[in-house]
Amino acid sequence: MRAHRLPGAGQLLLLLLLVFNLLPIYFILENSVKSPLEFASSTLSFPKALQWSNYGAAWDKVGPSLYHTSVIIAASVVAIVAFSAMSAYSFSKLRFPLKNTLFLLVFGLLLIPGFLTLIPLYLQIKKLGLSDSYLALILPYIAGGQAFSIFVLKTFFEQLPDEIFEAARIDGAGNIRIFSTVVLPLSVPICTTVAIINITSLWNDYLLPSLLLDRSHQTITMALVAFEAAAGNYGLSDYGGMMAAYLIAAVPLLLLFSLLMRNFVEGISSGSIKM
Amino acid sequence: MTGKAKLKTALTGYAFILPTFVFLIWFTYYPVYQALIGAFTDWDGFNAPRYIGLDNFVRLFGDEVLRQSTINALIWVVLSIVLAVVPPFLVAELIFQLRQARAQYIYRTLFVLPIVIPGIVTILLWRFLYQGEGAINQLLELIGLGSLQQLWLGDPNIALYSIILMGFPWISAFNLLIFYSGLQNISTEVLEAAKLEGATGWKRVWRIDIPSSFPQLRLIIILTLIGSLQNIVPPLIMTNGGPGYSTYVPILHMYNVSTVNGEFGYGMSIALVMFVVILLLTLVNMKLVKSES
Repeated sequence: MRAHRLPGAGQLLLLLLLVFNLLPIYFILENSVKSPLEFASSTLSFPKALQWSNYGAAWDKVGPSLYHTSVIIAASVVAIVAFSAMSAYSFSKLRFPLKNTLFLLVFGLLLIPGFLTLIPLYLQIKKLGLSDSYLALILPYIAGGQAFSIFVLKTFFEQLPDEIFEAARIDGAGNIRIFSTVVLPLSVPICTTVAIINITSLWNDYLLPSLLLDRSHQTITMALVAFEAAAGNYGLSDYGGMMAAYLIAAVPLLLLFSLLMRNFVEGISSGSIKM
Repeated sequence: MTGKAKLKTALTGYAFILPTFVFLIWFTYYPVYQALIGAFTDWDGFNAPRYIGLDNFVRLFGDEVLRQSTINALIWVVLSIVLAVVPPFLVAELIFQLRQARAQYIYRTLFVLPIVIPGIVTILLWRFLYQGEGAINQLLELIGLGSLQQLWLGDPNIALYSIILMGFPWISAFNLLIFYSGLQNISTEVLEAAKLEGATGWKRVWRIDIPSSFPQLRLIIILTLIGSLQNIVPPLIMTNGGPGYSTYVPILHMYNVSTVNGEFGYGMSIALVMFVVILLLTLVNMKLVKSES
């Protein structure tokens, strides 16, 4: 352990920055339990009486959208992980003509920014008549998750020793059996990581849902934007509920990150991400 | 392997990548193709697109909104890079200088905690804070600086800066961890040598820590550069480009000419130019990285 010495001024600055950094969380928390009257007098002071009913009101507004979002994400992520794992296995362990060309076709997609396909996708979903269906998002999401997930999983599969595949092959196992009984069990942790990264980015997506999906199937991000727009129209009556809704939207991410926080912090801090 | 076994393996190989390619062709390659072709047509989404050569690209040059959007995007890129580099590096350095490993861990975790707030909530929250009666103006009144109160998102002269500067104190968790890892990787010998030469405190930060963090610095700059050029959700939700066109950026312009005006062909020409710009920036950077290593 190297002995560092941070002077008092530095420690004070660090503490001050931490307070500012956590201020939005404090702001959401204290306002989520405020009555409209207290909210009107100040948004910054801690409430004298806690109005927990705000959470009920928020749940009524965003509850259905949490259901829609969960269905969409569950279906998308299961398909993303399944299809990308199959492709990654094929690209890393099987031989077939044009393999490298096909892989480059997938890899090159990492250079295609989302905005380029945004408008064509919008027209395509409209043309397919899917705007009133979860498929409007699930289908593009499955396609959108492939390149990154295949890339991560392929790197992992390539590091698996060839001996275990040879052993299974000598036992007479075909590729489908090797994939399902040897590869998949070994790759549960990496598949979980890939799933969580996909869940996080889909949970935060606003642009695609707002373009492709109608209001009766709205996702959590659409519901939050609609809630905010409506809260202003009712005067001050619903701001407590709005803050409660923000907190509800953060809970799933909090759960996922508390599962992964150590991995996440260690993974980036260990210096594995570099150029 | 026999010829028959080889054929079987090849067929399995294709079968395993088939689902991926069905989805990619349907929902990625085909939309990309439509975007590239559409940029040279008068496509309106309903009638059959008509090829009009470079007309859309000629129109780009005279487009006043696009000119304003491009200036805004450049301001956005420059300020984003400063905000993505300076505060996270400062905090990484301060945490790194703490004596106890335990304190370092606690600070690191607490600074990363706000990533659980969904991005859309941050945008909506800041939109709320910026309102006329919002918390920022309340706070200014409270500390006796009521004269500094502004219509943060309503004044065309400051709305763009209000959007770019949301998220104070701008400590991105990802960037903080990247910088912190860079500092941790500085070898003990280098630090010992610096100590012998009398480079401590600020001197050491300038002579050792910052030069050692160049790889991390470059990664964050290129990611921020590419990311901030694609920014559309903050201006879309906070101001929808207004007041006037003061917070327009090129991608928002593409979005609005396409979805509001129905000029998909013209929208795609904006998208195509932006795509080429971003692709070139990415390729130049990859080349730079390769030539160094």
